[in-house]
Amino acid sequence: MMATILSGVTWTIALSLTALAIGIILGGVLCAMRTSGVALLDFAATVLILAFRSVPPIVWLFLIYFGIGSGIVQVSPFQAAAIGLGLITGANMAEIFRGSLKAIHPGQGEAARALSMPPVWRMVDVIIPQLMRISLPSVVSYGIGLLKDTAIASTIGVPEIAFKASHVSQVTFRGLESFAFAGALYILLSVPIALASREIDQRLRARVAK
Amino acid sequence: MPEDDALMHILPSQTSSGSQRVMVEVAGLCKDFGAHRVLDNIHLTVDPGEVIAIIGPSGSGKSTLLRCINLLERPSAGAIRVGDVEIDAFRKITRRELLAFRRPIGMVFQSFNLFPHLSVLRNVSIAQERVLKRSREEADAVSRQLLERVGLGSKADQYPARCSGGQQQRIAIARALALEPELMLFDEPTSALDPELGLEVLNVMQELATAGMTMIVVTHEMHFAESVSNRVIIMADGKIIEEGPSVQVMRSPHSERAKQFLGAVLNR
Repeated sequence: MMATILSGVTWTIALSLTALAIGIILGGVLCAMRTSGVALLDFAATVLILAFRSVPPIVWLFLIYFGIGSGIVQVSPFQAAAIGLGLITGANMAEIFRGSLKAIHPGQGEAARALSMPPVWRMVDVIIPQLMRISLPSVVSYGIGLLKDTAIASTIGVPEIAFKASHVSQVTFRGLESFAFAGALYILLSVPIALASREIDQRLRARVAK
Repeated sequence: MPEDDALMHILPSQTSSGSQRVMVEVAGLCKDFGAHRVLDNIHLTVDPGEVIAIIGPSGSGKSTLLRCINLLERPSAGAIRVGDVEIDAFRKITRRELLAFRRPIGMVFQSFNLFPHLSVLRNVSIAQERVLKRSREEADAVSRQLLERVGLGSKADQYPARCSGGQQQRIAIARALALEPELMLFDEPTSALDPELGLEVLNVMQELATAGMTMIVVTHEMHFAESVSNRVIIMADGKIIEEGPSVQVMRSPHSERAKQFLGAVLNR
């Protein structure tokens, strides 16, 4: 029983990481659009963020898997879940990045401009490293939330922890044990991530702290 | 390529061969923030090697003038020439022009603005690599030399947060010098420092002035204005109200407004 549920861990981790990766890239793009100063891009990003966030995750998954993914384009349950969760994550990352950007002193960009650094290098050398440090705690806590939210991927058949637990409980009629074990697995996955994040955050903070 | 030309510039003392051309020329410069006119028809020329102090009450437009000279603020009207590059407020400035225009200008800020995530050495090196296309080894070697020059060779591997304000500002000066500027702009470089730490910075600036650097310094340090700079400009309400040789302007200003300002800052 335990072995079966354990075999879902890989899927849970893979789905979380994929959705997070999609989300970070998409969030970076959306944040760039939001702060570009170009009204049309800003508006487009605002609408997309609103759409991604307003529709519940499970509706996104069904929409992608049963709606779009069953027509001309065929998507696997994993792909549908990764895209759906990735879109929602992207919208939230965009807002996290935008908030972090505001926390960077405007003098940083000015100093880079005064040094006549080209725009790309201003971003790569000066802004993005600081953005990553400032947004790390929010990104990680969102990531932990995401890890738990991957459970809804069981509804479209991704064989992750919750899906396996549900399967085992139906076969063995031992619902309490199955889901308790699944719950414990989520805790075991989340806690080390939280601890690691705190450690990294403190190290980075020590470097810039007075 | 502007980058290649830039490599040829060393110190202003060496560029003075040939015609003694005016280095900075500001003509009819205006800056509006909404309906508020912050700079009103400013005219200013700076010769190579000259040190100019800009003083005046808060809100008089001193910092804005300085920030317009390297286009951190876009002028609303007027023209600015630095070295061989001229820009006009009425013409659109391309990205390439902007980089070429700023290339010979170094700037030091009131709030230092060092990059907190980079070591002191990397702070000084990074722009050399990106702008002058120096290798990391070359850039680091230049940086170590400059850090020695401002008395901070031992701080190279620290992070800026581990340095005092005075040290941070000297690092910021080294960072600007690393790009071999022909003109240095100082925006209240000692205003965020206590008097003792401010002195460290003023000493470095004085040394730079002696070495022949062209400098425009917005400051509240009256002693520096009188004794180090060649020329003092007093601004009030977005206008230059008094301008001339330092001692003359500081000791015997003509206008009432200038007398009032100097009376307030000198007799305290």
